Order: sequence, then structure tokens, then C-alpha cells
Amino acid sequence: MAPVHAEDPAPMDTDSVVAMSQSADEDAAQERAQFRSLDEDVQSLKKEVLDLNRDLFLLEEELLFPANSQVAFFISMDVGEYFDLDSVNLKIDGKEVSNYLYTEREVGALLRGGVHRVHMGNLKTGDHELIAIFTGKGPHVRDYRRGATMSFNKGIGAKYLELEISDRVKKQQPEFVIKEWE
Amino acid sequence: MIARLAKLVTLWVLSAVALLPQQTQAASEKSEGTVVKDAQYGEVLFYFYQGEYFPAIVRLLAAQEKNQLENHVNESELLLGGLYLSYGHHLYAAEIFERLLADNVEPEIRDRTWFFLSKIWHQRGYLTESQDALNNIQGELPKVLESERQMLQAQILIDERQYEQAIAMLQAWKGKNEWASYAKFNLGVAMVRSGRVDAAAKILDDLGNLDPYNEELSSIRDKANLALGYAYLQDGQPIAAKAPLQRVRLEGPFSNKALLGVGWADAEKDNFRRALVPWMELRNRDLLDSAVQESMLAIPFAMAKLDSISQAADHYLNAVEAFYEEANRIDRTIEHIETGALLDDFLDEDPLETTGWYWKLDDLPEGPESRYLFHLLATHSFQEGLKNYRDLNYLRRNLEDWQKNIGVYRNMLDTRELAYNERLPRIEDSLERADLDGMVSRKLDFDARLNSIEQSGDSLALADQREFELWGEIITLERNPALAADIPEAQEVRDKIRLLKGVLQWDLDKEFKSRLWKIRKDVQDTGQALVETRRSRRNVDETMRNEPLTFDGFNARVDGLNPRIDALKIDVDDAMGRQRAFLQSIAVEELRAQQQRLNTYSVQARFALAAIYDLSATVGDASQ
Repeated sequence: MAPVHAEDPAPMDTDSVVAMSQSADEDAAQERAQFRSLDEDVQSLKKEVLDLNRDLFLLEEELLFPANSQVAFFISMDVGEYFDLDSVNLKIDGKEVSNYLYTEREVGALLRGGVHRVHMGNLKTGDHELIAIFTGKGPHVRDYRRGATMSFNKGIGAKYLELEISDRVKKQQPEFVIKEWE
Repeated sequence: MIARLAKLVTLWVLSAVALLPQQTQAASEKSEGTVVKDAQYGEVLFYFYQGEYFPAIVRLLAAQEKNQLENHVNESELLLGGLYLSYGHHLYAAEIFERLLADNVEPEIRDRTWFFLSKIWHQRGYLTESQDALNNIQGELPKVLESERQMLQAQILIDERQYEQAIAMLQAWKGKNEWASYAKFNLGVAMVRSGRVDAAAKILDDLGNLDPYNEELSSIRDKANLALGYAYLQDGQPIAAKAPLQRVRLEGPFSNKALLGVGWADAEKDNFRRALVPWMELRNRDLLDSAVQESMLAIPFAMAKLDSISQAADHYLNAVEAFYEEANRIDRTIEHIETGALLDDFLDEDPLETTGWYWKLDDLPEGPESRYLFHLLATHSFQEGLKNYRDLNYLRRNLEDWQKNIGVYRNMLDTRELAYNERLPRIEDSLERADLDGMVSRKLDFDARLNSIEQSGDSLALADQREFELWGEIITLERNPALAADIPEAQEVRDKIRLLKGVLQWDLDKEFKSRLWKIRKDVQDTGQALVETRRSRRNVDETMRNEPLTFDGFNARVDGLNPRIDALKIDVDDAMGRQRAFLQSIAVEELRAQQQRLNTYSVQARFALAAIYDLSATVGDASQ
């Protein structure tokens, strides 16, 4: 009996394993060129949007917090062995201005040396009082709540205050200090 | 200067950028301290450490613009380069590195940064740039990266079709690890592609016989054996093909193709009975796999060869039906992709929490198309294209958010300007009425008067109201003509008045100095207040002069930003459209290739079926 099969060579799925033709290389090169052209456009757009964001960021800051009345409060952490930060509550002249809850990722960033601008606002020139309440877990994973207070004078020009959380190794306790960022 | 310790130096930040994210965390624990001197620099780090590269870059650019990083000038520029790199903004990162890396960074970190950049560029198809970046590496990288560097170098040579150099390089490779194996595999495949089967066979055979100690190496071994087996089959050497194909693991991801190939190797030698063994094994596997599809034709082909004609016909019929259904499914999937829904599905699956180069799509979204596109994900073009699409989507949302804010700023400015213009006449009026110069002149008069009082010792001048009235009464009494009479009663009253006057005078003299000091102090305070008032007045005047200019400045900025946002939104939309089209075209091309293959198989099955029917009819006719 005559063999019953198509006269064409038997189908063989070799393409996906070993691309045989030159055209595969050419297609790849063409795809690469097309991708590159798009990528260069995306790079340039990213640059433009970043520049625009910079300008908008500055505009927003200058509009909302003019230099003369601007006041900013920064949280920083040094070591942090004895305190696991949950939240910070800020009161200026008895009025609550910020109550910030920290995520684990944010606390990690603080521990590694990042500084968080927890609040920015406007204040008249003159004397003011800041009260900061820090909440979290203290030594032996106990609930921990401590306050720090500072009187400061707001002159003409921006004022930056730093709320630093550090370790007091001798007492094995955290320490909360407010100071002016000079 | 208050010191704040960041747990790493900025140069280390750069090296952290040049590591994988999991390595970054580990490295941070070992790093040395540095002092964050500018609050804004610490703020940039705060976002960087959270992997939020976009806001970190924006803050850094803004702080640079306002000269707020005076204490971190070079560090911040390098950090910007590192952030750009993490954000996938590689061309601009390279500009910074070209400028600063040579002189400011330890050689090890510099080399690692160039390597990282080279890797990004290679993934994005910038072969020349990738090679240039590798050329910038001057020393040896840490062991774990050195192998990868050599692999990258070999891959660039392969991509550039410089096989001789790639071979020479790989032959000189000292290490024996996964990277070397990958590079060798890629080289072997590239050589097969260029028709140099014999030379490739040696490389692939070596890999195909390696003793794998982990899953990665087992996978490379399978791939090498598969590639070699098929290369032999293509080259008309079915006997040689069998050994490597049989070395492929039966349960691995490459087993389907290996089984198919083993069958063809036997079939080529006309041993169809043996060929049916692996092919029948394939019959029950997933029809999506091209090897399984092909086996549906191969089985009846072998059966026909073995004279099992009716069985062969049944199998061909099944195959035609299965291919038809599969082709229809692919059709529907192509339609779905062409609506643009595919990329929306990708974005829906993955919220825009992170951007940048580290992002990677691990799982395909649920949906009919996903099953067809598995290996697309492994390609750089698709992954990197998807990253760009995702980044563009982020930019678009960013622009939309800002546009809303700009509206708010516009209102805020208008309200502020309106309030200012309403208050201005009242303020001008009250300023006009406030005679500051007159007040100053009165103050000076007062000073002179006090001086005169002091010089003359005129204590009465400092008497209070009651004392003054008392003094007046005493004087009035003193001048009473009745008291001038020379009678004892008048004398007695005169004595009393004298006494009263003396007491009052004594009191006034006693209080004189303290009163004079107090009044001088009050006048001095008033003078101080006048100076303050004058200063405030100057400020008010200056503000009144400048405020319209400030408004003009803000108005111009707000008005100028809106068109910029609009223009950028159009550009981003356009780029998204092109990126979408590019990705869709890759996906559709992939599906069309699958469909084409199914169509070819279907035609072959029908043709074979027709041949069977013809033959049956001929045999039937002959028997009658």
C-alpha cells in the first residue's frame, strides 16, 4: 500500500527552539529599533514631567507657605533601638496641626537616615509653643507615649524645627528632643 | 550645625542603587554613618529608601533649584544620578555619571554603577551604549557580579553577531557557574542560527552533559539538549539527535518538545512504531503547547505509515476539530487585545505604587489571552515596554492630579487678589490718616520738655491729676484775700496751707526722679514703637508696591503651567498610544504566529485526510 501522508515535509516545530532564519534576527533588530525609538521618547517625556513637577512643587510651596511665614517640622531618628514609632501628634500654641501615622516602610526609611517633613504651615512672627506627642512601642515592646515641648520664636524668614528620636543607651530608653534646624 | 546621622553615605546610596533591592537592605545594615546636614537632603532620602523614586527626584530637583542643598552639592548630584537610574531614567543618569563618577566615587562603586547601567541598556536594546558602559569598568567587579558582567559582554557580542569574539571570550571563561552556562547556551543557539551547527554542537553538547546541582542548571541543560537535538534534526542527522533529546527531563518544561523530537528522530529512520511511543504520550497534554498540537498530526501520520488507515483518519478528524476550536479562541483573544483591554488588565492587576526599573510583572492577569502569552513575558521587549507603558500611565495620572491643583491655585490666587484689592483702599485711607511724622515730632517735643523739667527740677510738672488739683486748690486758698487779714484765725489757716503745700511739695520732690525715669522710659518705649511702626509702614509700603508684582508673578507661573500640562498630556497620551500599539503588535504577532501554525497544521490534516479518503475510494473501487 502506498504511504498515506502529505507530500510536504513532515511538520516540525523547530521555530520555538532554534530560530532558523536570518529573518528572526532581523525582526529582533527591527523590534529593538522600534522599542528604542519609543523608549527615547518616554525618557524625554519623563524628563519634561519631572521638570514640570519641580516647578509645580515650588509654586505650591511658595503659594501656600510664603517664605516669611513658613514653618516646617521634620522627624528624624537616630538608632531607634528602644522605640518603634507609630505616630506623631503636633500642637502649635495649643492647636492640633498634625497627627501622622507611620507605616512600617516609612519607619524603615527614618531608621536608615531619611528625614520626614511631618508638617508645614504658616505662623506669625513672635513666640510660639510646640508640643509633640510620640506614640509607639518602647523597651520590652510596651506601649509608649511621650511628649516633648519647645518654645520658639518665629522671625521673618522660614523656620525649620527638628523632632529627633534617639536612644539614651545608659537608661535604655528612647529620647525625644526638639531643636531648631540651623 | 546639628548633625543627623543617616545610616549610609551618599556614595553608598549610589552603590545601593547599583544593587538588587534585596541586596540594598543587606548592604544598608553594614554601611557607615554620614551626616545629613540639609533637611531637604534627608527628605529626599526618606522617599528614596521607600522606593518612591519619582517624589524623591522631584524634591531633589526643587531643593537644588532653591539652593537648599549647600552641604551636599556633589552628593546630591550623584544621588540624583542614582535615583534616575532606579527610576529607569537611564539616559539622564548616564549624563550625570559621565560628569561625576570618575572623580567622586570609589572605583568599586563606580564600576558597579557602570555595570548596572550597562545591564539596563542591554535590556532596553541600547547595545552600543551598553558596550560603552561596560568599557568604562576599569577593575574587577565583586565575584557575584563579575560572572554576570562577562555574560553580559558575551551576550552583547552575540547580539551584534560577533560570534568569533564571543567564542573566544567564553572559551577563556574561568568560572563554571550558571552565568557561564547561560552565555554558552546563548552562543550555541546563535551559532545554530547562523548555520554553524558543528561548532555549536560542541558547545551545546558540553552543556547538555553537565551535572546540574540546581534547578537553573537543570533547565539550561534541558534547553541545550533540546536545541542540539533539533539542530541535528534540521541538519538531517536523526540518529545524532536522539541522544541529546533523550537527556531532557520527562517532567520538565521542555519535555513536550523533546518527546516530539525523539518521535521525529525515529520517524526519520522509518521506525514509526517507536515514534508513536513519545507522540502518544503527548496526546494527553495541554493542547496550547505547539509540540502537543504537532503530535496530533504526527500520530496519524505514523499510523498511516503503519497501515492503520481508519485510526489515522479518526485522529486527523480530531485534529482538524481541535485546531479549529483553538484557532477560534485565538481569534477572540486577538480581538480582545486589539480593543486595548490587555494593557488595562495588566495595569489593573498591579496598582501604581511603585515605578521605575525594579518593577517587574510576575503574574499574568486572569483572562483568555494570558494562557497564550506566557513566554512573551520573558522577553525584554515586552517587559521593558510594559514598564514604559506603566510609567507613562503614572505620568498621566500625575499630570491630571496637578491639573486639578492648578485650578485650585488659580481660585486661590483670584480670591487673594480680590481680597487684597478690596482691602487696599481702606488701608490706604488709614495710612493716610496716620500722621507718623507728626507723632515723631511730638515725641521729640516731649523729650525736650522732659529735659527742661529735669534741668529745672520742676516736680510739679510730673504731678498726677489729683496732686495737680490739690496744688491748684492750695494756691487758690493761698491767694484768698481773707487770709491776708492779720488775725489769729487767718494766721492759723495760712500755717495749715503752708504745711499742706510743704507736704505736697515734699511728696512731689520725693517722687520726681522715679517719675521722671518712668516717663522717660514710657517715652523711650513710645519712640521704639514709633521706630517699629515706621519700619512696618515701610514694609506695608513695600508690600503694597510689590504685591501687584507678586500677583503678576504667580499669575504668570500658574498661567504658564497649565498649557505645559496640557501639552504634556497630549504627548504622554500619544506616547502611550504608540507604546500600547507596540505591545499589542508584539502580542498579536505572537498570536498570529500561533494561529498561522494551527492553520498550517489544519491544512496538512485536511490534505492527509483527503488523501486517505482518496486511497480508500481507490481501494474500494479496485476491490469491486
